[in-house]
Amino acid sequence: MINTSKRSAALLEVDGLSVTYGLMGASSRAIENVSFALGAGEAVGLVGESGSGKTTTAMAIAGLLSPNARVSSGEVRYRGNVLPIDDDAAMRPHRWSETSVVFQGAMNALNPVHRIITQIAEPCMLKLGMPRGEASARARELLELVGIPADRGTAYPHELSGGMRQRVMIAMALACRPSIVIGDEPTTALDVITQAQILKLLGKLRSQLRLALILITHDLSVVAEACDRVLIMYSGRIVEEGTVAEIFAQPKHPYTRLLIDSIPNPANGKKMIRPIPGDPPNLMNRPSSGCAFHPRCPSVMAVCPTEVPSIDQFGQERVACHLYRSSQEDRGASHA
Amino acid sequence: MNGGGTSRHIGRILIRAIVTLLMVAILNFILFRVIPGDPAKLLLGGGRVSATAEQIEAQRQNWGLDRPLLPDQLVDYLSATVRGDLGYSFKFRGRHVADLILERLPATIVLVAVAQLIAIVVGVMLGMYAGWRRGGALDNGGTVASLLLFSTPSFWVGMILVVVFSTKFGWLPGYGAYSPGGTISSIDSILDHLRHLALPVTALALGLIGQYVLVARAAMSDVVTEDYMVTARAKGLTNRQMLMRHAFRNAMLPVVTLIALNLGYAVAGAITVEAVFAWPGIGGLTVEALNARDYPVLQGVFLLLGASIVVSNMTADLAYGLLDPRVR
Amino acid sequence: MSESTTRYSPLGPARAVKGFLQQLLSHGGAKVGLVCLVFFLGVAVMPNVLVGPLQTAVNATGDFLAPPSSQHLLGTDEVGRDVLNLVVHGARISLTIALLATLISLFVGTSIGMIAGYYGGSVDVWLMRLADFFFVMPSFVLALVITPVVLEVMGRGGDILGFRPSLFVILVVIGMTSWAFVARIVRSQTLSLKERTFIDRARVVGSSNFSIMVRHILPNLVPQIAANGALVVASAIYVETSLSFLGLGDPLQPSWGTLLSLAQRAGAASAGAWWYLGAPGVCVLSVSLSFVLIGNALDDTFNPRRRVIP
Repeated sequence: MINTSKRSAALLEVDGLSVTYGLMGASSRAIENVSFALGAGEAVGLVGESGSGKTTTAMAIAGLLSPNARVSSGEVRYRGNVLPIDDDAAMRPHRWSETSVVFQGAMNALNPVHRIITQIAEPCMLKLGMPRGEASARARELLELVGIPADRGTAYPHELSGGMRQRVMIAMALACRPSIVIGDEPTTALDVITQAQILKLLGKLRSQLRLALILITHDLSVVAEACDRVLIMYSGRIVEEGTVAEIFAQPKHPYTRLLIDSIPNPANGKKMIRPIPGDPPNLMNRPSSGCAFHPRCPSVMAVCPTEVPSIDQFGQERVACHLYRSSQEDRGASHA
Repeated sequence: MNGGGTSRHIGRILIRAIVTLLMVAILNFILFRVIPGDPAKLLLGGGRVSATAEQIEAQRQNWGLDRPLLPDQLVDYLSATVRGDLGYSFKFRGRHVADLILERLPATIVLVAVAQLIAIVVGVMLGMYAGWRRGGALDNGGTVASLLLFSTPSFWVGMILVVVFSTKFGWLPGYGAYSPGGTISSIDSILDHLRHLALPVTALALGLIGQYVLVARAAMSDVVTEDYMVTARAKGLTNRQMLMRHAFRNAMLPVVTLIALNLGYAVAGAITVEAVFAWPGIGGLTVEALNARDYPVLQGVFLLLGASIVVSNMTADLAYGLLDPRVR
Repeated sequence: MSESTTRYSPLGPARAVKGFLQQLLSHGGAKVGLVCLVFFLGVAVMPNVLVGPLQTAVNATGDFLAPPSSQHLLGTDEVGRDVLNLVVHGARISLTIALLATLISLFVGTSIGMIAGYYGGSVDVWLMRLADFFFVMPSFVLALVITPVVLEVMGRGGDILGFRPSLFVILVVIGMTSWAFVARIVRSQTLSLKERTFIDRARVVGSSNFSIMVRHILPNLVPQIAANGALVVASAIYVETSLSFLGLGDPLQPSWGTLLSLAQRAGAASAGAWWYLGAPGVCVLSVSLSFVLIGNALDDTFNPRRRVIP
C-alpha cells in the first residue's frame, strides 16, 4: 500500500484519480482521471461550476469522501506515501494534522453550542495531546494570529460577524500546524471588502507558515488574488491547468475563455455578469460521449461529441481540448 | 447575552404563562355558571344537600352571587382561586377541593416520575443511537416499534398488562397502590408499593418511550447532516468523539424541550392509566368526580393540569435558552 | 417550506393527482395505512350487512364473557353480546366522531389561521393569542372539563341524524379544542402567500377579500391542511377513546373507547377476558397508526424537508 518512491519533490500528488458515487443503486462518476501536483508552500486554485467535481477532488485529498463514494482508480500521494483515502479510520491520523479544511459559510461549519476557543483548542487536545491549559493558550495565540483579540474567544459563533467566523475557521485549521490547508469556497458568503481581507490573511499566513493552499472556488477573481496556479474543472475532469498569469493572459480552453469573460470588469465597461449559455451538467445528465463541454461550446467541431479529448502539455500549461491536438493545430489557431 | 434581552425574554415567557392560567380560570368560571341550577345550591353540595333558605342566602352573599356577574363575581372568583380556595366537593361533602387534590397528588407524582425517568433514559438513548446509525437494523425496527407504541393508548396497554401479568400469571398486582390490610414492616410496605407500581409504570412508560425515541432519532439524524459534523470529521475526531462532543448536545436541544413539555402533560396522560389500575392519585379522583358529576373537583383538577402544563411550558422555554446560546 | 406549496397546479389536476398518488404510495407505511383504513371504512359503512343490528343486553345471543368460538369469533361480553358485533358497530361510531371532529377542527383552524394571516395587525395578535391557549392546552384536558358540563346542559335524550346527542357533544368539543396547530401552520403559509404577485393581481382586478382568501389562498393551503388533517384524525381518535374510557361516551351507541370502558367496569381484565378488551384496542391502535403513517407520508410528499413525525 505504501509507496515510498521519492522521485518527486511534490508535497501532494494526485494521480489519475476517479471517484464514483452510488446513488440509489446506480453509480455515477464524480471525478474522472484527475491528476495534478502540489508543491510545499504553493497555492493552487481549483475552479469550476457546481457539480464540476472540484469539491469531490478536495474532499478526496482531505480524506473526507462520503461513505457512498468509491475510489475506482488512481491514488493520492502525500510526501510520497499513498494515502488510504477510502478508509475512514485509517485517514483519521492524517486529517487536520497534515491537511486541514476551511469550510465555506463558517456559520454552520462551527458548532453553535460551543465557545470558539473550545472549538479551536479541541484538535490541539485530541490530536496533539496537549493538556487543556496549553491547548487554550495555543487557541488564544491562533486567534491573535488571525486578527481576533484573544478575549473574544469566549464568544459563541452566532455572536461574531461572517468575516470573524471565517477567521475563527482559519485559526482552527492552523491548530495542528498542517502543511496543506484546503479552502472550500472560504469567501463565498462574504461581502467584497471582507472577502479581500480574508484572502489577504490567507496569503499572509501562507508565506509566514509556509502552507500549501488549495482554494476551491467558482470565482476566478479569487484565484487571481490568492493563487500561483489554476486548475479548471468541468464535469469531473480537469480541462485546463496553468499559472495564474498564463491563464488570464491567454486562456486556451473555450470554457476557460468564457469563464474569464464572465467576470464583471468595470474597467472595460462590463458591469453585468455574462452567464455562460446552457446549463452546467450534473452527476446524472452528463453528455454520454465526447467532450462534456461540447453542447455549450462556441467552437464545437465534428469530433467533439464523439471523442474525449486527452489532456496535453503545452509548455507550462495543460489543456484538454480537440482545438489544440497536434493534428488540428492550424484549425485551432484560427479560433484562438 | 445582553441582560436587557434576557430579562425581556423571561418577562415574555412569564406573561404568556399568566395569560394562559388566567384563561383556564375564566373558562372554569364560565363553565360553572353554565351548569343548570342555582350556583349557590351547587356550591353547597350540588343540590344534593337539603339546605335551608337562610343557608343558601348566606352562601349567596358569601360568594357575592347577588352581585353582577361581571366584573364583581369574576374578580371574586379569581381572587379566591389565587388564594387556593377552590370551593367544596359535591361528592365528599364539605371537603375542600384543594385538600382533596393535595391528598391525591403524591401518588400521581410517584407514578409519573418513575415512568418518565425510565422512559427518558431508555427512549432518548435508543432514539439517539437509531439516529446516529440511521438506516441500521435497530433504526428500522425501532422506528416501527416506536410508531406502534406512540399510536397505542397507554391505558389499553395497561389493561393488556393486567390480563397477562396479573390475571394469567399472577406475578404482579393489577389493582391499587398497596395490598389491602397493609403490612407492619416498612421495608415490606415499600416492596409492596413497588410491586404495585410495576404495571402502571410500564403502561405509562411504553407510550412515552415511543415518543422519545421518535423525537431523539429525528433530532440526531438532523444533527448528523449538519456542517459542523463534517468539520468534526475533518478534525480527525473518532466517531465516539464526534458523537459525544458535537452531536449529543445539539441533538439534546429539541429533546430537552420535549421532556420539559411532556412533564406538564404527564399528569393528564396518567389519568386513564390510573383509572385502569384504581391508582389512588389525581386520575382516580378525576374518574370519581366524573362519575359523580362533582364539578368543583373536576375544575380543581383542570386548574392543576393547566398549572402543570403552563409551568412546564415555561421551563421548556427557559431550558432551551440555557442550552442553546443562540436564544439567550 | 413555503415554496413547496406553490406546486399545486390548477392546469393539470388529474395528472397532478396521479403523480401525487404515485409518490405517496412509494412510502411503504402509507400503503399499509391506506389498506387498513379502507378496510375499516368499509366495515363502518355497512355494519348491519356484516354482523346484523347492534346487539343489546336484551337481544344478546351468547353466554357471559365466553371466549372466542366458531359462533362468536371474538367471544362475548359480560351480558352475552357478541364482541365482533360490538366492535363492527363501534367502527361506525368511532370513525364518525373522529372524522367529523377533524372536519370541525380543520374548518376552524383554517378560518382562524387564514384570517389572522391575511388581515394581520390586531386581528392577528388576538386570534393568535387565542390559538396559543388552545395550542398549549391539550384537547383531552379541555374536553375532560367541558364535555360533562355541556352534556348536563344539553341533556342526553333524543338523537341527531341517528346519533345520540352525547356523541355530538364529544365530537364538537374535540373539534373546537384541537384546531390551534392547523391555525398556526395555515397562518404562516398565508403570510407568505399574500405577498405573492398573483394575490396582488387579484386585488387589482377588484376581487373581494373573501374571494381572494377562498379562491386564491385556500387552494394553495390544501397540501398543508391534508397532511395535518390526517394527524388531527389520529389525535381525535385518541382523545375520543380516552374520554369514552373515562365514561363520557354513550353506552347505547358504544364507540371503541366506550367498549373499553364497559370492559373495564365489567372487570374483564381481572377475569382474563382478553378478547373483550383486546378487540376494540387493536382497532383503535390500527386506525390511529394508519392515520399517523398516512399523515407522515403526505407531509413527506408535499413537504420533504419538514416532518411532523420522523
